[in-house]
Amino acid sequence: MSGRASGSTKVYLRVKNWSEVLTGLFRDTFRYRELIWALALKELKVRYKRSVLGFLWALLNPALMMLVLTVVFSTIMRFNIPHYAIFLLSVLLPWTFFSQSLSYGVESIVSNGELIKKVSIPKMVFPIAAVLSNTINLFLSLIPMALLVVAMGHPFHSTWLYLPVPILALVIFTIGMACLVAAANVFYRDVAHILQVVLSAWFYFTPIIYALDFVPSHLRWLFKLNPIIYVINGFRLAIYYGQMPKWQSIAASFVCGFAVLIIGCAVFLKYQDEFVFYV
Amino acid sequence: MSDQLPSSSAPGIKLENVTQRFRVIQERPDTLRELFAKFFHSETNYRDFDALRGVSLEVPTGQMLGLIGRNGSGKSTLLKIIAGVYRPTSGRVRVEGTLAPLIELGAGFHHELTGRENILLNGLLMGYSREEMQQREKAIIEFAELGEFIDTPIKQYSSGMQTRLAFAVATEVDPDILVVDEILAVGDASFQQKCFARINKFRSKGKTILFVSHNMDQVTEYCDRVILLGRGMILADGDPDEVVGFYKSLSTPEPEISPSADSVAH
Repeated sequence: MSGRASGSTKVYLRVKNWSEVLTGLFRDTFRYRELIWALALKELKVRYKRSVLGFLWALLNPALMMLVLTVVFSTIMRFNIPHYAIFLLSVLLPWTFFSQSLSYGVESIVSNGELIKKVSIPKMVFPIAAVLSNTINLFLSLIPMALLVVAMGHPFHSTWLYLPVPILALVIFTIGMACLVAAANVFYRDVAHILQVVLSAWFYFTPIIYALDFVPSHLRWLFKLNPIIYVINGFRLAIYYGQMPKWQSIAASFVCGFAVLIIGCAVFLKYQDEFVFYV
Repeated sequence: MSDQLPSSSAPGIKLENVTQRFRVIQERPDTLRELFAKFFHSETNYRDFDALRGVSLEVPTGQMLGLIGRNGSGKSTLLKIIAGVYRPTSGRVRVEGTLAPLIELGAGFHHELTGRENILLNGLLMGYSREEMQQREKAIIEFAELGEFIDTPIKQYSSGMQTRLAFAVATEVDPDILVVDEILAVGDASFQQKCFARINKFRSKGKTILFVSHNMDQVTEYCDRVILLGRGMILADGDPDEVVGFYKSLSTPEPEISPSADSVAH
């Protein structure tokens, strides 16, 4: 009978040190893995409910976006970058995952407020489920991405097999960010609005529509402070250039990911007992 | 200091001097602008409200305890503390055994999902595994008398159907402590009978039941013991007939006026 949501086995997490945050996070995630999965699927089901094509939209949405961008950048706006659509989309997909995860994640506690007032469960399942449902979408969007690569005659590199590594680093980073903004939004609902502004600024200051080489060299150090560029660039290297990232940049993406995860979760765990009074 | 004590034998539920304080904010500083305004004016636009004031309570395993009192007397707060939804402001709480922690039946239901999908989601929310819920699914559907509606989104259910499903899920998972909060008002007479038959089965298995109701006939008929709450304090505790009689004597002449809890208490 262990593993119940309530009862004598229940232990409240108190933040004492970083390793405790991580072990608490992994233990709760593991214990509630089936609930997190069910919540993520519920989110997708509800999102595509009452649409004729249903779950197909998870594939059609990125496919149509890619089609539009490909047409625009191969006919109207032409850049000096061959197969610019693939150059762009290889990092636009992970970015879309990141920004959508945060947009869903920031509301995840507030929108489940009625539930939080009535059942005792680790609140972290909600932002994690929001990120997970978008992770499913990210994996699905790789299918039209692969089709586009073939259709445009771009080489289909074996480095695609390496993609799970940057995806893992990005998911870690995104869960940390989602926990942080979800917790903050409980106390100040402005956070959800500020987030949208921050995300659009962040988008333009990240080498997504351009390459880092385009940035004047004396400013480049500033761009390298951006914690997401290492992991984002891993996608572009694997899909567009067919290269493995340097080990330093793999290390940097995991260091940034875990740093954000620990900070986000520590803040979340510190305040989670208060959520119920503010949702 | 609030704390979760380690398990031992003895009572199923034990509360020691539990106080739950809510900060009632008159103008909620929900936005940063209001926060800044508050920061510069530094006025306290909140007041503290104690929903429970130093409540101590022991419920032995196997007891069916009735909780009565007016709206706002602290019944729900007490249940939420026992269920672990609130962490009390001060005091100690110990709960032995598993408890179906959904404080309100059907709280975890999602209206776009079907009955079957909701059974799983509700079970997972209560901490049970997918496998455990799949084993119980048939019995739940049978008890809830939903038949072919089980694969229909529950937004198309009547409120009686939803309550039946919720009660079936909460009782089929076989917790050690069952919380029955104001649900038996819904549903027709035959289903109510079925519910009480099941509650009696729980009692015969020696499980603890917390029963909240405004129906005093049900309370006196089924409970072993009744607690009357008022203004966050225990006003009376003991034999169901006596406590209910006392409660009725307080509220019969003019139900709108709340009794002065302090004068009644001691």
